[in-house]
Amino acid sequence: MASFNSNEWRAICDKFTNAQNLTETESRKDPENDPFRSKYKARDLLREIYCSLKSFEAGEGEEDSSGESGDQRPTEEPVDGQREDVFGQGFSGDSPAGLRAARLGAVEYYLGVNHVDTEELSAGQEHLMNCMKLLERCRVSSQNVSLFIHVRNQLGILWAGRDETETAQGFLETAESIYQRYMKEDGSPPTDMTEYFTTEENLLTHQERTKRFELAYTHTMYYLAQVYKNLGQTERAATYCHTTLQRQLQLNQFTPMEWALNAATLSQYYITKGRYMEGRHCLSAATVISDLAGEVPSEAAAQESEAESERREHLRQKRAEIARCWIKYCLNLLQDARKQLEDNIGELDTDRQDELKMARRREEEEEEKGRKSALLFGSEDTFDSIASIEEKVMCLFPLDFTEARSVFLVGQNYVTQAKDFFQMDGYVTDHIEILQDHSALFRALAFFEEDMERRCKMHKRRVDMLETICNDLNAQYYLLIRRQLMFELAETYNEMMDLKLTLANRQADTQSLDNHTIKKFNHLCSASAKYFQMFLDSLCSPEGKYPEHLEEEVLRPALVARFRVARLHSRFISSSPTVQLDNLNKSLENYKYVVQYCEAHPEAEAAVETELELSKEMVGLLPLKINRLKARMASNN
Amino acid sequence: SPKIGDSDSIKVFVRVRPLTRDTGLTTDGDQSLCLSVTSPNTIRLCHCHLCLMWKPTQFLIGLLSCSGQTGSGKTFTMLGPSELDNFTDNLRGVIPRSFEYLFFLINREVERICFSNEFGTCSPSPTLQQSPQSKSFLCKCSFIEIYNEQIYDLLDTASASLFLRENIKKGVFVEGVVEKFVSSAAEAYQVLSMGWRNRRVASTSMNRESSRSHAVFTMTLESKETINEVVNIRMSQLNLVDLAGSERQKDTHTEGSRLKEASSINRSLMCLGQVIMALVDVSNGKNRHICYRDSKLTFLLRDSLGGNAKTYIIANVHPGSKCFGETLSTLHFAQRAKLIKNKAVINEDTQGNVK
Repeated sequence: MASFNSNEWRAICDKFTNAQNLTETESRKDPENDPFRSKYKARDLLREIYCSLKSFEAGEGEEDSSGESGDQRPTEEPVDGQREDVFGQGFSGDSPAGLRAARLGAVEYYLGVNHVDTEELSAGQEHLMNCMKLLERCRVSSQNVSLFIHVRNQLGILWAGRDETETAQGFLETAESIYQRYMKEDGSPPTDMTEYFTTEENLLTHQERTKRFELAYTHTMYYLAQVYKNLGQTERAATYCHTTLQRQLQLNQFTPMEWALNAATLSQYYITKGRYMEGRHCLSAATVISDLAGEVPSEAAAQESEAESERREHLRQKRAEIARCWIKYCLNLLQDARKQLEDNIGELDTDRQDELKMARRREEEEEEKGRKSALLFGSEDTFDSIASIEEKVMCLFPLDFTEARSVFLVGQNYVTQAKDFFQMDGYVTDHIEILQDHSALFRALAFFEEDMERRCKMHKRRVDMLETICNDLNAQYYLLIRRQLMFELAETYNEMMDLKLTLANRQADTQSLDNHTIKKFNHLCSASAKYFQMFLDSLCSPEGKYPEHLEEEVLRPALVARFRVARLHSRFISSSPTVQLDNLNKSLENYKYVVQYCEAHPEAEAAVETELELSKEMVGLLPLKINRLKARMASNN
Repeated sequence: SPKIGDSDSIKVFVRVRPLTRDTGLTTDGDQSLCLSVTSPNTIRLCHCHLCLMWKPTQFLIGLLSCSGQTGSGKTFTMLGPSELDNFTDNLRGVIPRSFEYLFFLINREVERICFSNEFGTCSPSPTLQQSPQSKSFLCKCSFIEIYNEQIYDLLDTASASLFLRENIKKGVFVEGVVEKFVSSAAEAYQVLSMGWRNRRVASTSMNRESSRSHAVFTMTLESKETINEVVNIRMSQLNLVDLAGSERQKDTHTEGSRLKEASSINRSLMCLGQVIMALVDVSNGKNRHICYRDSKLTFLLRDSLGGNAKTYIIANVHPGSKCFGETLSTLHFAQRAKLIKNKAVINEDTQGNVK
């Protein structure tokens, strides 16, 4: 830079530092009625720098012609696309001309960002495109590659903001491929854009250069994740989220708790896709990284200072959140395994069980390969700890009770952890959600239990954990949760009733059930009916009127509840004909409701196909039964 | 454009402020108006209309909220002309009117019972209006502001930020918030204007921008009815919400396809979680947990967004074509708001259905 004397150059550097400072620090303190004051000041400084550089260029008198011809080209479509030729053509980025272009480009870049920040988007776009044009004349080199990527990141953000996601995608994907090709072909720590305007003695270290460059590319990944999300390409988006996280970890550019929560959330994506190996990996990494956030301050320490108390609350809550993601992992794994193993009446299909066990043995060898192709997290320090957490729970579907129990126990352990923070007093909703998961874990485990008596006890545990809460909850504020609980309790009692009957029939081997069993059976039956009825009553208006039209979300549950109540009433065991008659009438009434509702609202039919069919049948049959009973009662009298 | 809904849990009203001479926003001529009235449903708003929908004698959680860009007349709709101490003005807003209506209903109820109770005498005390045998009302007010996900008490400016908690009996509440007892519309209005003043003071002294904060005024009404020695307590709640100016809501969910930017300063990709969250599928019936809580405002008003609450949103728009972008985004917001519903997914056991 021969023509600048060192004083002139120093003045430019100072202006630049000043502009950076105004943009990043001062602008946060700007008053509400003048929100962009500092940014406007920064803009003026950048313009001055631009003029100085430009006049210097004019003085040099070279390369101007190529600049002019560049400007005269027709304005291009602002689509970047895959332009790989940036490595092949133009003059070298390291040449004086290349450096000059990069410097001017950088000022255009900062002006562009400044205009975007101050909500002058089209002006911002123009500056950023000027930067692109200046760079077009240069080959990618360690001098300018960082700017190549930054300007595309910004254009990506700009176009996505205008709902032109494909345009944004073009810029960002080019940035991605430029990075990759540069790393393959050169890979030396590139100049950071701020270094264009620093004096010799303030140049960055290689380490700092690498860090900044990699961060810019991490941002590219992060923006691409969002672009793919907006385009509906969820799988691709998830991969880019994963890459972003992995890069943050490797380059040590993350805050541990935030990272851990992101990884835990990503695990939930994988489990909804049934990809348990990846889900487990994310969760194990989340657990390991969350420990890097440090020890939870003790209760005593929390009482001493407010800061410690806040930190304690924060760390405990986030860990509890991760525990809850683990619960969902265990729960879904059990539930999916169940789906694989159940026969058409919901019992364990032993043939299928053997078949799957065989298949698993075959797959075990293949697993190793699959493992390697999957995306993994880890830096040198964390890799082993992550792997050791993974070992504690399986990621293949459990196929028998022992395996299911081991998954269940891990889940239950996380339930205890999560409840420790999300206590009933203070976190009612969260606490109950955890209890609901605990109940669901028991339900999934019960499927694998062959001993009916013990299975029944598991369901009893579910009732015990939910029943009191359901009755204690304020019915006004927790209407929706209570509906869920009532329905679940009703179903649990229903299930217990079925188990009792199967057991009794097995033992007695005759129709004659003893009094104790009958009493027990009727108790379960009425408990189930009671909760279904409570659920139905909760749908009533404040004046106590049952709705004529059922809302979409409650349509199926409400009709199913009616149907179940009908069945339950027909199943009560009683020797008294009057009670029998009463029950049958109630049953008929509820079956009729289902049929009549569907007649009046044909759109409801699809939601309750099987139930409707059976209800219709029963509406035909029950009156006969009732009449026969009536006749018998009359003749007895 | 959004219309008054029929069966939705949330009703949306659009109010178009009239053009006035003295604001800089209204310099464009009549032809450039971006809104025109096509039918009364699309624009007009009747204040009394809203108040009449609330019956304090029955349980209800009401929510009345106002949204719209800064300068679109939100405060005017809610409060009326500024610096209005005498709230009998014809132009008074929805809030003073709802106070009047509420106390009108309370007094009517109390009088009715007094009248029918020949042995009793009414002894209205400042906080409790009780008739000897049957019904008494207790009315409490609190006023908070949510700025930057922190909760501030507008009735006690000295307090630090407060926490939201839940109780099995009380539902969601702000821990340690000041609650003032009121016995008349005038008292309620006094509490409100005190809070409103504090809000302005706080916004200048603590660098809180009022256009980016939500203010929630909550009235809790407890009625205690004694019939044959059976005590029946009912709670109703009315939330009056002044939402942040919608043009500044870029940081909430209202922004559509915009990319979340990375702030390179604290090397944090703050919103990655939200991106992933959006990927996690709800539709396939899988059970999942999302580590990011709803915003404080939605959590606080959760009861109001479904179930047994009545919710009204007044979207305020400015008719000038200069504000086209903001007007559109407000209308979009209103449209989305109509779709909000608090759903309870019933985990149905598909087994044992038909056994």
